[in-house]
Amino acid sequence: MAQMSRSSSYIRMEKGLCTGCVLCMKACPTKSIRVRDGKATRVGDRCIDCGECIRVCPRGAIKAVTTWSGQAELSPHSVVGASPVLYAQFGNEVMPNDILIALRKIFNYVYDQAYAHELYNAVTELYIKGNRGKEESVWPLISPACPVVNRLIALRFPSLLKHLLPFIPPREVAAREMRRRFKEKKIFGDQEAAVYHISPCSAKMISIQAPMFTEKSYLSGALGINEIYDLVVKHLGDEDEDLILHVSSGVGVGWGMSGGEIAGLDDVACLAVSGMQEMIRYLEKIEMGLFRNIEYFEFRSCREGCIGGPLTVADKYQAKGILQKFGRMFGHGKRVRRSQVQRAYQEGWFLKETLEIGTVKGEKRLPIAEAIARQDRIESILRKLPGKECGQCGSPDCKTFAEDVADGQVKQESCFQLRASG
Amino acid sequence: MPILSKRFSIKARDYLRAGEVAIEVKGILKKIGLDAELIRRVSICAYEAEINVVLHGGDGTLHLFVDPSAIGMVVRDNGPGIENIELAMKEGYSTATEEAREMGFGAGMGLPNIKKNSDGLKIDSEKGMGTLLAISFDLKEE
Repeated sequence: MAQMSRSSSYIRMEKGLCTGCVLCMKACPTKSIRVRDGKATRVGDRCIDCGECIRVCPRGAIKAVTTWSGQAELSPHSVVGASPVLYAQFGNEVMPNDILIALRKIFNYVYDQAYAHELYNAVTELYIKGNRGKEESVWPLISPACPVVNRLIALRFPSLLKHLLPFIPPREVAAREMRRRFKEKKIFGDQEAAVYHISPCSAKMISIQAPMFTEKSYLSGALGINEIYDLVVKHLGDEDEDLILHVSSGVGVGWGMSGGEIAGLDDVACLAVSGMQEMIRYLEKIEMGLFRNIEYFEFRSCREGCIGGPLTVADKYQAKGILQKFGRMFGHGKRVRRSQVQRAYQEGWFLKETLEIGTVKGEKRLPIAEAIARQDRIESILRKLPGKECGQCGSPDCKTFAEDVADGQVKQESCFQLRASG
Repeated sequence: MPILSKRFSIKARDYLRAGEVAIEVKGILKKIGLDAELIRRVSICAYEAEINVVLHGGDGTLHLFVDPSAIGMVVRDNGPGIENIELAMKEGYSTATEEAREMGFGAGMGLPNIKKNSDGLKIDSEKGMGTLLAISFDLKEE
C-alpha cells in the first residue's frame, strides 16, 4: 500500500522575511500553520502542498521547492513534458508548437503531454459507461489529476478515497510511455531517460516523491513554469526547424483551465469546481451523500484551474483567454483513434498500480473515551472564547485555538480578548 | 463516562446555510476519530434532518450527544408537525413547497434516508405541535 508521507512538504518558509502576520495561517486549509514567537511555523504533518500560503504572503517569504530550485543536476538524458498551462504563458501570438520547439533546445526530447489528456478523457468515458447501473459502482467519481485534491481527500475526507477514479494521472502515464519507448529504442544507449514535468505548482513534487496511484513515480522531477520561463523566451525565436511537435487538439490543451477536463468527456454528467474553499464545500456535501446524479467531478485546488497555479507567470484570466482561443483554433474533438483507446482501456493502461489508493498516516488516534473527553474539553474552552477569529493568539481561528489549548500546545491566556475581558 | 453534548440552532428557510450544521457535526465526529463509514451515515442523517427543519420546520435545534457506546441526535422544531408519520416514511412522499422544490429539495427521501442510515429512529409529532426526531447510532469500540 502506498503510504504517503506528509512530513516532506516542498513549501519552505523563510523566517527572516516573515513579519508574523496571520495571512498564511488563515489561508491554510488543513490548519497546519501557527504563528509562534512572531514567526509563521508549520506544525504537524498536515501540509498538502496546495500553495495557498505562497499566494497570500505579502512578503514573498514562502516559496516552493522544485527539482530545479533544489539545485539537483538535471540528467543529460532529459525528456520533458509540460502542463498545457505552459502553452498559455507567452501571449496570444506564441503557439504550442513554438513552445515545444523551444523546449527541444533546452532538453534532449520533448513530448506534448496534452495528447495524453485526450487519451485519458477517452478511457474515462469508457470507464464511466462501463460502470453505469452496476450495484457496486461508486458515484460521483472524482478526477485524480490534481495532487492537492487527492491529498486533501486522504487527509480530510478519507471516506471519499473510493470515489477517486482509479486511474494513474495522465502526466504519469505519459512519462511511463516515454520511459518505455526510450528504453526500447535505446535512444540514450544503455542510459535511462530522465523524464521531467514542467508544472504550474509544487504539488507535483510531492506526488512524485510519494505517489498515490503507483508504487513509484515515472517522473524524475518537476520544474516550475516560472523557473523555465526565461529560458523558453530566449529560444522562442529559433525557427530553424520544421518540426511538428504539437499533436493535441483544443481538448488536451484545455485541461489547463477549470472545466477543461470535463469538456473532453462526451455524454457524461459532470461538474467542474475550482478553488480551495469552494472545493471543500462540495467535498463536504459529497460526503453527506449529495450529488448522486453527477458521475464525474473535476476538482482543481487552484482557482480557475491549473492556470491559477502558484508557479505560473501569466495572469490566470489572460491565460484562460489564450487557452480558449486555442480551443477554437485546434478544435473540440479528441484526436485519438478508437482502436488505440479500446486497446489502452482493455490493457488497463491507465489503471492504478497500487492495491489501495494511498492512505495517510493518520494523526495519533486516541482511545474513543479519551477522544470524546478531549472534544468535550475543546467545546467548553470554545464557549469561553470571544469568537472574533482574529488569529492574534497564533492559531488560525478560535476553534483551532481551543484544540491547541486542550492539547497543551498553548496557554488559554494567549487569547488577549479573553485576557482583556478578565 | 465522558459525554459530549452540543446544541446547534437551525433557521427555517435559510437555504444558503442549509447543511452547515451537518458539516459541523461531521467535523466534530472526525476530530474524535470515529470510523469513516459511521461518520458518513451520521452526517447523511444530520443533513436530512437539518434540511427537514429548513424546509418545513420553523426554527429548530439539533442536539448532538456522543458517548463511548452511542451517538444520539435530537432534532426539534416548532413547525407544522407531521400529519401522517406512516406516509411521511414512504420514499418519494413529500409535502415540500414549490419554493423548496425549485431549490432542489423536497424529493421525499428525507425520513426514509434517516431510517435507512441510522440504527434507531423515533419520531414524535402531531399536526400543529412541531416535530421531534431522536436518531441513534451504535458505537462499537474497535
